[in-house]
Amino acid sequence: MKTVYLCENSVEGILSGVYAAWTSRKGHENVKLELMGDGDTMELFCQYEEVPVNARNADKVVQAIRGKISEEAYIAVYKAALSKERDRGDKIYRFLIYGFHFGAKIVHMLQVKEVFDIFQMCRNIDNETHLLTGFVRFVEMEGDLLVSRIGPKNDVLVLLAPHFMDRLSGESWVIYDENRRKAVLHPAFRPWFLVDLISTEWEERMKKASDEDEYEALFQRFRKSVSIKERTNPVCQRNHMPLRYRAYMPEFSHGLKDS
Amino acid sequence: MLIQEELSVQEKLEILSDAAKYDVACTSSGVDRKGKAGALGNTTAAGICHSFSADGRCISLLKILFTNQCIYDCKYCINRCSNDVVRTAFTPEEVCRLTIQFYRRNYIEGLFLSSGVLHSADYTMDLIYQTLKKLREEYHFHGYIHVKAIPGADPVLIEKTGFLADRMSINLELPTADGLKKLAPGKSRSKILTPMKQIQKGIAANRYELMEYEKAPSFVPAGQSTQMIVGATGENDFQMMMVAEALYQNYDLKRVFYSAFVPVNQDSSLPALPGGPPLLREHRLYQADWLMRFYGFQAGELLSEDRPNFNVLLDPKCDWALRHLELFPVEVNKADYYTLLRVPGMGVKSAKRIIAARRNGPLDFDALKKIGVVLKRALYFITCSGRMMYPVKIEEDYISSHLVGEEQRKVWEIGSAGTFRQLSLFDDMNVPALADLGGVRL
Repeated sequence: MKTVYLCENSVEGILSGVYAAWTSRKGHENVKLELMGDGDTMELFCQYEEVPVNARNADKVVQAIRGKISEEAYIAVYKAALSKERDRGDKIYRFLIYGFHFGAKIVHMLQVKEVFDIFQMCRNIDNETHLLTGFVRFVEMEGDLLVSRIGPKNDVLVLLAPHFMDRLSGESWVIYDENRRKAVLHPAFRPWFLVDLISTEWEERMKKASDEDEYEALFQRFRKSVSIKERTNPVCQRNHMPLRYRAYMPEFSHGLKDS
Repeated sequence: MLIQEELSVQEKLEILSDAAKYDVACTSSGVDRKGKAGALGNTTAAGICHSFSADGRCISLLKILFTNQCIYDCKYCINRCSNDVVRTAFTPEEVCRLTIQFYRRNYIEGLFLSSGVLHSADYTMDLIYQTLKKLREEYHFHGYIHVKAIPGADPVLIEKTGFLADRMSINLELPTADGLKKLAPGKSRSKILTPMKQIQKGIAANRYELMEYEKAPSFVPAGQSTQMIVGATGENDFQMMMVAEALYQNYDLKRVFYSAFVPVNQDSSLPALPGGPPLLREHRLYQADWLMRFYGFQAGELLSEDRPNFNVLLDPKCDWALRHLELFPVEVNKADYYTLLRVPGMGVKSAKRIIAARRNGPLDFDALKKIGVVLKRALYFITCSGRMMYPVKIEEDYISSHLVGEEQRKVWEIGSAGTFRQLSLFDDMNVPALADLGGVRL
């Protein structure tokens, strides 16, 4: 009978699941990883087993990937674990089966479906991270605090934070991921850290700060005046900057289109 | 000339960004610089776009003129001295504050500062230098700065500015001396090329110094760029590409930008462009420029005296491949990197991925698709393990008729940018008339 390992939705949770499934010795085709709280219909003729997060087991998997495959493969697995794909846990497991067999060259073997799946997830998350390095918008609140709200498809906060850490090292800033209700906090001149945020009270404050920010109005004017009327091309604009990002950008706050 | 001194920053920003918008040097790429404790900003080699304007162009820099007052009377320029427009100028302080505050909010990747020529070239260049000095030293701005060198300015001033900027550019505007004489009577080719040479020498000398002393300040680390206007004078594509190639080779330029001519002035010496700016021609020039910089093509391979203009219906690489069918089909599992790069539908990334992946076993068409090869274009030019994807005749007419179908859709999109409507089964089954692609020659 097939065993489905239900793991917690985090990098550590998925790696704990990988450990549990691998060490069960039930055979790769008889095990499957799923994420908890997905609300999927359960499969028939399956045994479900919850895997609690176990930092030591997760760490063992990490060491094995780094030692027996490569650092590059570890980065790929880590990124894939942040992906928006619902079956990312199982895809990582399938990738690792090949990885432990072939070693370091696995990351280039795109002709293998299991490798391509990971490659595609990484590409997607890298692209979104890159776009957000440009599309994140900070609002200045009292005490020079810069606050930003984003709604990414992938869990990009940990990939985004180092960029702004380097760029705005002397500023205090927060980036809040609305979809996952967590945030990166960066106090000026100090390292950043992740927190879960449930309270939305400061969203109101942010809106108020945004209304009062004179530079926001200046940027709106600037954006308008730099476009060339004779070259108007909304399709091109949309290809480069999908509509879903615009809801978080003040220059589009009056509707998603340029007037 | 109406000079307004008492304008608000908002009004100045509107006037001076509107006047700078025709400059296309918008990228922030070319140099990777880590942030510094206590300073604001870093730079990314790949460049970051922070927004896109309604014309689909990337906004990555605060692109403004220092002033739109100008002593020159270039016919194509909105700021020509004979135009009756409101004139104004920023103060260095205003430019700094705008840059810093926009940057903190992550609206921009840095500053792009150009200027009309106020009083004299030296006077203007000095104002620009003062602004950069203030921004770097008082405001500790560590992000990207692209600045215009003013043709005719004192070489010492240009050099001092170069040590504060990431990229410097001087606009060639018109690719030939004739064109320049006709439309920009105050400028001459030598006035533009002399500082260009100076910047090149500065970069080269700096490279040498950097080897000797690690701490030497860097001179224009992201290199030099220029811009040419497309379609204002009679140059053909071949002439444009030859000029660009010469600039890459002789002046070490990092980028040449092409800007479809937008008529902003009424002047009898300017061409009338009933179909709007020659956007498709600009697009083809960018494609060809890309082929020269990243694919190892030379201008003379793409065009010639006899065939001086790009094909409207095909991109330059497909066009080249069709004229060299003797080199195809290419075996994907054996061909070297540079041969793969010349296959239509394959780019730098996919060629690299192919090389890495095939070490571990042969690739089939399905794998190529996953790797990112555009099979719609590539399938006529490649074999996988000796077989083509479909039975294809390696014959120019046959392949071009198939490729054109796909390319024409794109041409239509570029040619009719801005006209949007629901697709209709009856209207859209007809091939769009080429005559509508204003300004483009077959």
